[in-house]
Amino acid sequence: MLLTINTADSRPIYQQVADGIKELIARGKLVEGASLPPVRQLAADLGVNLNTIATAYRELQEEGLIVIKHGSGSVVASCTMTERSQDELLRPLRTALTELILAGRSPSKILSMVARELTLVGKQSK
Amino acid sequence: MHTNQYAIIFYIFFWVVRINGCVRRGRQPLLRGPGWFFNVAVQPDFYTGAGRTILHRYWMRMFIPFAVDVPLAIAIFLSGHLLLLNWLILGACALIHINHSFSVDLAERQARPLAVPEAEQPVASIVLSLKPRRLRDYTNRKVEWALALSSLVALACLVRYYFAAPEHHNLRLVFGVPAFFLYLQAGMLFVKRVVVAWRTPVPQVQAEEHMEAREETRKYYLRTCDWCRAAAAAGILFWPIAISTPPTGFNRVFGIWFAAWMMIAVVATIWVEIRRKQLVKLALRARPVKLPDFLHQSEIARWPVCYQPSAPMLLLKGARGYSLNLANTLTHLGAAYLAGLIALFALLPKGP
Repeated sequence: MLLTINTADSRPIYQQVADGIKELIARGKLVEGASLPPVRQLAADLGVNLNTIATAYRELQEEGLIVIKHGSGSVVASCTMTERSQDELLRPLRTALTELILAGRSPSKILSMVARELTLVGKQSK
Repeated sequence: MHTNQYAIIFYIFFWVVRINGCVRRGRQPLLRGPGWFFNVAVQPDFYTGAGRTILHRYWMRMFIPFAVDVPLAIAIFLSGHLLLLNWLILGACALIHINHSFSVDLAERQARPLAVPEAEQPVASIVLSLKPRRLRDYTNRKVEWALALSSLVALACLVRYYFAAPEHHNLRLVFGVPAFFLYLQAGMLFVKRVVVAWRTPVPQVQAEEHMEAREETRKYYLRTCDWCRAAAAAGILFWPIAISTPPTGFNRVFGIWFAAWMMIAVVATIWVEIRRKQLVKLALRARPVKLPDFLHQSEIARWPVCYQPSAPMLLLKGARGYSLNLANTLTHLGAAYLAGLIALFALLPKGP
C-alpha cells in the first residue's frame, strides 16, 4: 500500500495525497475499516507541514471516504456512508472529460480510454 | 575478585568492541566503491583531489571521543573510583554515536560540491507507506511479558525483604537500584518510540529495496533497545539476591552475575556484528538518491536547535547539520526524561 507523490505534478501535495488515497480505496487496496497512518506520521515521512496532510484528510472526511476518530486515528469509511449527489460525483468526471477534449482527443478515443481505466479500477477492486 | 576488577574487565571489553567499531567506521565512506563517498556519488578524481582532505578530516574526527574519554579514564584510574568506569562507558557510547552522526553529515555536506551534478538532483517521485507505524506493531509480546514478570518478581522479593525488618533497612538502598534500572528501561522505550517515528520516504525507483533496507534497520535498532532493556531487567533481578546475600558471600554471587552478564554482552556483540553486515548488504542494494525538501529545512533550521511547530520531525536537516526541533513532542518527552533522571540521581543513595 504505497502512496506516490510527484514533484513534477501540478496538483498541490495535499491534493496528491487525497487523490492517492481515493485511488487506493477505489481499487480496493484500502478496504472499509482499514487504518490510515496518523497525520503526524505521514507529514513526517513526506517532510511537509502538518496542515498539508490534515487538509488532505479533511477533504477525504468531507467526501465521506474516511472517518477521523480523535485519539484513535483515521479509518476508511463504509461505502454506504458516501452520501453525495450524482451531480457532485459527476463533477470530477466532467472536469477530466473537458481536459481530454481540450487536449484534442476524439470522443471515441476518450470513450475507449475511460472504458480501459474503468476495467482497470474494477478489476483491482474485486 | 573485587568489584573494581570487574569494572576493569568490562572496560577492556569495551575497548575491544570500540576498536572494531573504529575500523568499521573508517571503511564506511568507501563501502559503495570508489565512485562514492558515503551516499554521495562523487567525480572520478575525488579521492586524488579535494576529497582526500575531506576523507582525512572525517578520519580525524573519529578520534574526538578518544580525546574526551581517555583523559577521564586516566583520572578515574588515578582516583581509584573504578566503578565510575561503567558511567564512562555509557557516556562514551552516546558520544561516539552522536559524533559519528554529525561527522558523517558534515563529510557528506563537504563532498556535495564535488559530487556528480546529475546525482545531486532530487528525485521527482517519492513513495510513502500507508501502513500505520505504532510502537505496538514492533513489540514482541513474549519479550515484554518476560521483562515485566522478571521485574515484578524482583520487586516483590525486595518488598518482602524490606518489610521483614524495615527498621534495619535503608529504603533508598533497597529500592534505589531497581528504580534506576526501571527508569533506564523507560528510557529505552522512549528511544524505541523515536526509532518507530523515524521517517521513511523512499524514491519510486527501487522503492522496494529502499523500503526493505529502512525497515530492517529500524528493526535492528528496536531489537538493540530490547537487548539493553533485557540487561536492565537482569540488573533488577540480581539486586534482591545481591542485597540479601551476607557480606562474606557477596563477591561470589557478584562474580556469577558478572560472568552471566558478560556472556550476554558477548552474545549481543556478536549478534550486532552479524546484523550490521546483513544490513550493509541490504543498504548496498539500494542506490542512494537525494529526496525533495518540501519544508526547505536548510532555510528554517540554521542552528543546532530550532522551534518549528508546523514541522512534524524531531530532527531537521539544516544547512549546518542536524537541528533539534524544540516544538516536537518527542523533544519535550526527552527533556522530561532527562530531568527525571537528574532527580533520580539526587534521590539515589550515595553509598552502601
